[in-house]
Amino acid sequence: MSGNENKPINIAIVGLGGQGVITLAKLIANTNFMLGKKVCYNEQHGLSQRGGSVQSSIRINEADNPLFAAKDTDFIIGLEKLETLRYLYLAKEAKPKVLVSNRYDIRTTSDLGLEMFPESDDIDKEILKYSSATYIFDALGFEASVKSKLKPVNVAVFSVLTTFPELGLPTGKAEDYVMEYLGRNILLKQINKKAFKEGPKWMKKVE
Amino acid sequence: MKAADSKTDIDVVEGEGEEVQLLMGNRAVVQGLLEAKVGLTTAYPGTPSTEIQMQLYKLHQKGQLYFEFSVNEKVAFEIAGAAALSGVRSAVIMKHVGLNVASDSLMALAYFGVIGGMVVVVVDDPGCLSSQNEQDSRFWGKFSHLPILEPSTSQEIKDTIVQAYELSEKYNTIILVRLTSFTSLNTAEVKMKVVEEKLAKDGDFFKDIRYALPARYVLHKGLHAILEQIKEDEDFLGNNELKYGDSISDRLIITQGAIYPMVEYMRNLNNLDIPILKINAIHPLNEKQIGEFLKKYKYIYFVEELESYLESEILSIIGKYNLNLKVFGKEQLAIPEENRILPDVLSEAFKRIATDPNNEEIFKVKPPVPSPYAHVFGRVDQLIPRTIPRLCDGCCHRGAFYSIKRATKKTDIIPSDIGCYALGQVFPVDIGDFWLCMGASIGTAIGFSLTNDKPVVAVIGDGTFFHAGIPPLIDAVLYNHNITVAILNNSLTAMTGGQPTPSSDEKKAKNQRQLDIEQVVRGLGVEYVKSVRVEDTKENTKIFREAMAHEGPSVVIFNGECVVELYRHSLDLGEAPYVDEELCNMCGTCFIEFSCPSIIKKDGQIVIREDTCTACNICVGVCPQTAIIPRKKKKV
Ligand SMILES: Cc1ncc(C[n+]2csc(CCOP(=O)(O)OP(=O)(O)O)c2C)c(N)n1
Ligand code: SF4
Repeated sequence: MSGNENKPINIAIVGLGGQGVITLAKLIANTNFMLGKKVCYNEQHGLSQRGGSVQSSIRINEADNPLFAAKDTDFIIGLEKLETLRYLYLAKEAKPKVLVSNRYDIRTTSDLGLEMFPESDDIDKEILKYSSATYIFDALGFEASVKSKLKPVNVAVFSVLTTFPELGLPTGKAEDYVMEYLGRNILLKQINKKAFKEGPKWMKKVE
Repeated sequence: MKAADSKTDIDVVEGEGEEVQLLMGNRAVVQGLLEAKVGLTTAYPGTPSTEIQMQLYKLHQKGQLYFEFSVNEKVAFEIAGAAALSGVRSAVIMKHVGLNVASDSLMALAYFGVIGGMVVVVVDDPGCLSSQNEQDSRFWGKFSHLPILEPSTSQEIKDTIVQAYELSEKYNTIILVRLTSFTSLNTAEVKMKVVEEKLAKDGDFFKDIRYALPARYVLHKGLHAILEQIKEDEDFLGNNELKYGDSISDRLIITQGAIYPMVEYMRNLNNLDIPILKINAIHPLNEKQIGEFLKKYKYIYFVEELESYLESEILSIIGKYNLNLKVFGKEQLAIPEENRILPDVLSEAFKRIATDPNNEEIFKVKPPVPSPYAHVFGRVDQLIPRTIPRLCDGCCHRGAFYSIKRATKKTDIIPSDIGCYALGQVFPVDIGDFWLCMGASIGTAIGFSLTNDKPVVAVIGDGTFFHAGIPPLIDAVLYNHNITVAILNNSLTAMTGGQPTPSSDEKKAKNQRQLDIEQVVRGLGVEYVKSVRVEDTKENTKIFREAMAHEGPSVVIFNGECVVELYRHSLDLGEAPYVDEELCNMCGTCFIEFSCPSIIKKDGQIVIREDTCTACNICVGVCPQTAIIPRKKKKV
């Protein structure tokens, strides 16, 4: 890496309750910590219910303040499309990289006629407009390929993140950490190992 | 390197018995309590203080220290207070509004002081992300005459807790440690000592005439004397720091511990060569020291979250010492007095701090303050639909609401309470007209029933019922108030992450007896009491109508399970029921009235989403056409 090595890298992860946003933040933070880097992150989740809006921000090369101004955003990771759109205000000035899942959870409020939901294609256009590079993670495809009830999309996304050198997540170390942190039983270990191995297969850059 | 328990982050072993860990602020509190060898801890659940409590709960189950989820904050405080009077180090943990509940005991115990160290950890929730209101707990210091410390980072939180016990014992006073959702939920590095020993709670209570004293103003006087001493204490004052003190600027930013890291970040982002006075020892302030110190500066900027606490305290010091200073506070810097502070909320303030302080005009303009919730309702180039919080797919409360809705009219008055079931207000469930604070549904129901010629129903959860719902129910019995109370019993405090309540069974709460709500309610003298399962929606509607027709107070207890809790035990709850297309006549009862998010319209048909359905099967009984056919449900 260049002389810029100690410049903080600011990442926002967004999604819905139950998607593993906070776990993904922990995986990124702890792998960096294990490698001896300064890192901090926060969690922002209101209540317990499933399906609420969840956000976490992480700063690598920064010790104590995980929150950053919109214009300082380097990376947005969106596990759901509408939530990504919601936090796209972070991207307006900063033009960060955006990695977004193709999962789009249209809430019941739409069917009840309470809210108008944007077309999926329009969200894509919006993201393209405000990002320096857009990457799509095919969460739907990945989930369909996993046989078990547990669909560790966050682990697969984490493995995708190892392909971005600026995030400082060497594949081997990152995988070790997933195994150590999430592998409580053999079955889980197997599922996570597979998710980690196959994750990058489901990502493509939008040209 | 070694792995800690599965939920903890990785440890790096430093020296003998020392290591560095990534710790959330809340976990740093627990680490501080361990290092201070605190033997007795109590709490009442409340976000954002949850992780402190859950970790203590685990340590208690492992046998390392005593912890209990007390029935409410006042009781939690009293238990810890008596322990401290018996010479045992104790801690009590709660969220900001909890301190309102505990305050009666807090104000009085402050007079006696303590023998073993006692710390109250209170976590504020600016922006009310998970609370009924926002409060600035810094005011408790002046009100109760207790010292308040407000650390900035996980490391400071741990160190502050350890120091607080030393100060508490040195001055025989309770110490308040204030966190906010920012400091308590941030995770950062902490250098710490490994503490594995079992911490004792054996004390010795000495009777003292002071405790029975009638003219307590004498003790009040003593309390003032302690504050005078502590404000000269080097260790206490050492919590305040001048950052970037080698700057020769005649300008100074004054801020509080809780938002310091963000303020420092904004300073550096704007390339400002201005020092920052970071005040962690919020109460008492040392007027003389601050007065002397400010003489060096010409321009002072106050950057604070919530109320202008330091601004008004320090303005009075400036007045007292006749200092010739120009002060820029909330108004001049356009910092809101409500909601939480985020970097983007501070950007206008820092734009102003960066300008010429003598340019009066700029400081008079009132720009629109960016809402930290801009993203919720906000625009990029279009309106973004909200993610409205709603009851989970398969939540037992939905079944209870369905029966209550069928049994009541739109015009009936339904005060509800604080818990997941407060989400009953969300259309189209639409149950609940009024929310105040924990336990208030029953008291307000009585007031509404006395003054309105309409049926009144109170909705309350089991946790909230035990916390503060019993006294008002006694009132209803005493005066035969005509109200119906629906107790929604999921046997835990779901809203705050599934802590046990007195009605939790052994599986959930070891070392705790299970109270039967029906027995408790009968014991209070309520004559009409029915306890039902939420799934029997049709039968429950009849029962609820009958309860409402009963003269005087009546209680219906709806029993069911929290889905999030079920998922903690198993990922596989069973197979989703399906809709028989032949039988379904698209009446919309399941979809609109029952309103489960897993029931959707797809290609003109009602369909149950298999990926989100939790197989609670409550909808099966709701369908008037019996078109919803259950499949395999698993027993968890
Ligand atoms: C004085 C006070 N203490 C704590 C809280 C935090 N809190 C919010 S809801 C709740 C209890 C919820 O439990 P319950 O009534 O059983 O309802 P459930 O969420 O399980 O449906 C608590 C403790 C609060 N709001 N006020
Ligand atoms: S967390 Fe539990 S009680 Fe709360 S809405 Fe979800 S299922 Fe219902």
